[in-house]
Amino acid sequence: MSSPLFDVVVIGSGAGGGAVAYTLCKAGYKVALLEKGKLINRKEFSKDEIAYVRRDIVTPSLFKEYHTIETQQDGGWHTLPTYKLGWSFWNGNIVGGSSNFMSGMFHRMHPDDFRLKSKYGTIEGANIVDWPISYSDLEPYYQKAEDIIGISGLYKPHPFEPPRSRKRFCQPPTAENRVVTLFDKSCQSLGITPLVTPRAILSQKRGEREACYYSNFCGSYGCSSGAKGSAREALLKPALATGNLTLMSHSHVKQLHTKGKGKVSHAVVVDTITRKERTVAGKIFVVAAQAHESVRLLLNSANTSYPQGLANSSGELGKNLLFSAGGAGEGELHQDSLKEISFSALMEPGLFVNRSILDWYFVDHWWDGKFKGGLVEFMFEHQNIIARTIKRSEEEGKLIWGTTLGEKLTRQFTRTKNIRFEIFNDWLPHDNCFVSLDPNYRDTYGMAVGKLRIEGHPHDLKVGEYLAEKCIAILEEMGAKNISSSVTSIPPQNLIAGGCRFGTDPKTSVLNPYCQSHDIQNLYVADAAFMPTGGSVPYTWTIYANAFRIADHIIQTLRRGS
Amino acid sequence: MQRRNFLHFSSLCGVSSLLSAEKPDSFRQDFQKVSLLIAAVQEHMFPEKSLLPSAKKMHTTQFLFDTMADKTFNPEIRQLVIEGAARFEHYTDGKFTLLTAEEKEYALRSYEMSEEGKRWLSQMMVLTLEGLFGDPIYGSNIDESGWQALHVEGGMPHPKTRYIGI
Repeated sequence: MSSPLFDVVVIGSGAGGGAVAYTLCKAGYKVALLEKGKLINRKEFSKDEIAYVRRDIVTPSLFKEYHTIETQQDGGWHTLPTYKLGWSFWNGNIVGGSSNFMSGMFHRMHPDDFRLKSKYGTIEGANIVDWPISYSDLEPYYQKAEDIIGISGLYKPHPFEPPRSRKRFCQPPTAENRVVTLFDKSCQSLGITPLVTPRAILSQKRGEREACYYSNFCGSYGCSSGAKGSAREALLKPALATGNLTLMSHSHVKQLHTKGKGKVSHAVVVDTITRKERTVAGKIFVVAAQAHESVRLLLNSANTSYPQGLANSSGELGKNLLFSAGGAGEGELHQDSLKEISFSALMEPGLFVNRSILDWYFVDHWWDGKFKGGLVEFMFEHQNIIARTIKRSEEEGKLIWGTTLGEKLTRQFTRTKNIRFEIFNDWLPHDNCFVSLDPNYRDTYGMAVGKLRIEGHPHDLKVGEYLAEKCIAILEEMGAKNISSSVTSIPPQNLIAGGCRFGTDPKTSVLNPYCQSHDIQNLYVADAAFMPTGGSVPYTWTIYANAFRIADHIIQTLRRGS
Repeated sequence: MQRRNFLHFSSLCGVSSLLSAEKPDSFRQDFQKVSLLIAAVQEHMFPEKSLLPSAKKMHTTQFLFDTMADKTFNPEIRQLVIEGAARFEHYTDGKFTLLTAEEKEYALRSYEMSEEGKRWLSQMMVLTLEGLFGDPIYGSNIDESGWQALHVEGGMPHPKTRYIGI
């Protein structure tokens, strides 16, 4: 069965695919949006911890679809499939992708993130390059994303705050727990500037999207008010309203086919329920399946014209995989030693901490040295009830149970609250972090699975440790107890970038500055795969912004073509 | 940001399947063979007169069966639970359910010393806590007793179907 010829075929309905589909549909073009997962509407979401957190409900079963992970042990590389590791690299495979399940802490990259090599030079063992575009090229699209997605916040000047063409955010910040009084005072006493975290969450009703209702269970869950700026709520609903979007859920793209050299002709799509295959044809193809899966699709699409995979004449496809990571830590605020605020105010559920610190984004200190640092975010420990009880059911390597467990859980849940920090510093690109096809494993559709070689660069750990020390000092100043932190090279599987780095030289990059394949003119990549370096912030705002930029270029291309 | 622990099940690879626990059809039969033992372990871990609701009152054994029988459940963990229970049954000469509380504690702590015992008991703990503190729609945490014991409220909206109706 074949479909009509669409102007644009978009593969993946998350932040990148959603922004492209939205822009093109608004401009009057016919778009097919292919999403392997199902559609879950706002009213169907719930805060069901067992379904959304404990089971693989919104991601494929690892026994059917999985990755293999290559890690270094005892001097050699060892590969294990993720169904053996219990470590899933799927993220929210439903319409709207993982943007449905984000916490919405949004930050722009800094202008110097676009010229990291020029500013800091080379670092041994790292493949750092400058971006082929500058912050000023992307700034209008950061603004566009802010307006369309709905990013709430409060601008405060800071030396490391990226310039904003409009200072004021489109909505005031989401409501904050009183703990910020203690947090801000603690920061000030240490000479640190706390900033209000911009959030892709509406603090006020906007159109058909209701304001945040402070459910206490935000990240990892779909939003039941529409306040969270997921691609589904903010982009796909308006795109559908144009009548130009054909949304195809349960549609997994196995391969892209080319018509000889230079042009993708159609996608081979398998219905994930019936297993029937069909083709979807278009003038332009946009891949946005999340960085590592976009790479896999292009590699799995190898043919006689492109034996190394599509968009891979440079041999760079899959290389320089990135993660948004750094480390994390937390401490306990106890009822009997709490300062500044009442314990009942601290325990008020649902309200955000909403604090980030940019003071160490760039470090230039007479003692510490000059290096790129990162961003830190402060938040409460995730309020998932089951997860919190499991975390507290072990002491010194042994399980606790019976009355001892009962006393511990009731004491900790009713007399303490944990405050947490997460560190975001650059994951330096290097030769031992990439995705390729695993020749030994195939998924349920018969396609080679992605093999991720994962190793961090030692420099990243040093930066992470530096930032963790700063955060621990804040927690100590707040009076937190039992403070712990962890800085490792184990990456978060939900913040992946790189693998299709963009650049001006077709010999060293996969995509051109518009994220269009150097080799195949009607092929674009619109997720985070384009990033040669990832900055020291979560990627989502940059993905949205860059996808809006790509979409404008596609419109120009289509207009020229017509 | 979700950062899962690096759980490693590779040690299971070489174990021949004593039971066909990966198939839900036979899972019921396999479970019935060890259900009394599992109930006794859960009731020891979550007894009456604790600050938490008891396993017995919260029907955690039924929850454990229901959740493991669901198609969303990891078949390797299903196998681990059944095989671990069978081993523990063997380890205690089939007498665990007849032991005193003190003897049960000794047997469980001894079993916990082994790697496979620790893994099994950890899984029993996780699955029991899922029942006690998951949404009541799954059959445990009756009348939100688990949440009330910890002075917490589940998030709104609550689910209307188990496993979002998949």
